[in-house]
Amino acid sequence: MKTLLGLTVANLKGLTRDRAALFWTFFFPVMFVLLFGVLFSGSGDSSKITVGYVDLDQSAASAQVRADFALYAPILVLQDGSLDAEKAAMQNGDVSAVIVIPAGLGNVAGSTPGRPLAMTIYIDPSQSQTTQVVQGAVNGVAGGYSMAVATNGGAPALIVAQPQQLSSTNISTVTYLVPSILAMALMQLGVFAAVPLVQQREKGILKRMGATPLERWKLVASNILLRLIVAAADTVLIIGVGMAAFHIQIVGNLVLAAGFVFLGAGAFLALGFMLASFLKTEEQATGVVQVVQMPLMFLSGIFFPFNFMPDFMRSIARLLPLTYLGDGLRQSMVNAPQVAPLALDAAILGGWLVVCLAISARSFRWE
Amino acid sequence: MTQSGEPVIRVNDLKKHYGDVKAVDGVTFEVARGEVFGMLGPNGAGKTTTIEVLEGLRSPDSGTVEVFGLDVCKHPGSIKQRIGVQLQSVSLYPRLTVTELIDLFGSFFDHHVPTKQLIDAVDLGERAKAYSMNLSGGQQQRLSIALALVNDPDLVFLDEPTTGLDPQARRSLWDLVKGLQEKGKSVMLTTHYMEEAAELCDRVAIMDHGRILEMGTVPELIGRRFKERAVFFDTSPKLPSEKLAQLGGVTRASQEDGQTLLYSKDVPATIGALLAMADELDFQPHNLGIRQATLEDVFLDLTGRALRD
Repeated sequence: MKTLLGLTVANLKGLTRDRAALFWTFFFPVMFVLLFGVLFSGSGDSSKITVGYVDLDQSAASAQVRADFALYAPILVLQDGSLDAEKAAMQNGDVSAVIVIPAGLGNVAGSTPGRPLAMTIYIDPSQSQTTQVVQGAVNGVAGGYSMAVATNGGAPALIVAQPQQLSSTNISTVTYLVPSILAMALMQLGVFAAVPLVQQREKGILKRMGATPLERWKLVASNILLRLIVAAADTVLIIGVGMAAFHIQIVGNLVLAAGFVFLGAGAFLALGFMLASFLKTEEQATGVVQVVQMPLMFLSGIFFPFNFMPDFMRSIARLLPLTYLGDGLRQSMVNAPQVAPLALDAAILGGWLVVCLAISARSFRWE
Repeated sequence: MTQSGEPVIRVNDLKKHYGDVKAVDGVTFEVARGEVFGMLGPNGAGKTTTIEVLEGLRSPDSGTVEVFGLDVCKHPGSIKQRIGVQLQSVSLYPRLTVTELIDLFGSFFDHHVPTKQLIDAVDLGERAKAYSMNLSGGQQQRLSIALALVNDPDLVFLDEPTTGLDPQARRSLWDLVKGLQEKGKSVMLTTHYMEEAAELCDRVAIMDHGRILEMGTVPELIGRRFKERAVFFDTSPKLPSEKLAQLGGVTRASQEDGQTLLYSKDVPATIGALLAMADELDFQPHNLGIRQATLEDVFLDLTGRALRD
């Protein structure tokens, strides 16, 4: 155990003292977050929120309520429609929430107080700012309406807002991109691991270690441990920068997200090991690693929503493992719409991990 | 030199092929405890393959190879605890310091020498905090020796320890190896420098094309092939060579680059006859001297080619 830790620390020192490695590992992804964040956070009319409005009552009372929302016109834009249509619009990201005026509102106004009438609002908790605005407006209108009815001598009919969760795709571009950039960083972390490995073999370091009692599995384990530590650091850094600079909200299942971080790091590290098995010189390795990572980066649909891609690009992206890491991370971190079910994402990454490791185990040369 | 007990290395009919190339083709030798044993030969002779089999880095095709009486194929772990290894032209983690590297390698062994003590032993005190990539060639080689000694080994393998070093750095490495022997360690080294083998080794094996051609102490190797000693002096112009060959005791004579070389079975007779001839022909034999034949002469005689070509 002492040996394993010592070796990992030695490798970690080697990494942190190498400016080029530091750049690619930490600075490059952060630069991506900042660049994309600045590019996209200004886009769109963020000052107004479009909300679906469904009037099931269609009475004079409900018309009054509709009119009361005019107070919030500077921040809320209402889009009228049927319940199904508006819920679908929310899932597509066309509206940020849906407000439903229940049937029976007109009758309630004159009747004796019974149980309060529920005014359902569909919200996406991952959109906390939007949710707050919508809930605030609805509570304001509902409260105002109840007061007005009571003061006019009618029975104090209470209507209360009843929030329901509904996932929306209307997540900001930055929120979509941060898990994608994390996926990119994890991919690079793994694939780039081929370079120091080939370098250590070419320089005879691996052979020299072979002449000591150090077991080979410890050499492999320390390499994996090192990359997982860096993966964790990268995750914290990228998400931290995203949260601090662009207020992205991480709302998903953190345990699941952490699982995808390590599974993804592992799968691409296995790919890196496999590349190192077939490459002989350090120059070769630096070249091939770029040839592998560039198409992964740009064809995997991590920088633009999968649904926006043309058909042929989508078919390519479906073949690339980075597509599934990006998808898994986005689903588990920010509830983004799925490319594939989470289980399939995990299974494909796991498959890459196993196959690449098996090939490496067969083909890796220590000198 | 005291030699006692079991030999530390025992190799019997070792063979190792790479495809069609017979890198080692039936090699047999022993190294005694406390001995400095040298393998001398040109590049590609099979020295490195032999030493790497002994270090447990390669498995032999056939033959038996024992270190400390243990089969290297069956007990690589316990052998590696007790040997020190310096490989040919290995660089180390470039961005670790001398101290960190010695600490790291020490952690691979059950027992290890204190880092400070090793750094002092190889005289790297001033570079203890330097990255290995910033060391000079001689310093890197000394670090490499320090790493080979990190477990206080009983047997040290040095594969071409001074190749590429300047004469001063080579001298300082020789002193290190002599120090090892004084501490009772056994050393096996390979080299293609004759003077290095002659300076350091108790016994030498001359290797070429995967075979050991001759083995013994340096005087033995020379004595076996060269009974004559060489009488040499500067001459200009050239002397008649048939007259030189007829001088008393001379078996062979050559004149090159202004120097005359007479191999002689009877040096006093040769010198007497030479001085008489000088009188007669009226020339001065400047810088007259006598020397033994060298390992270079032996190698030339064995293989028909010079060692470094």
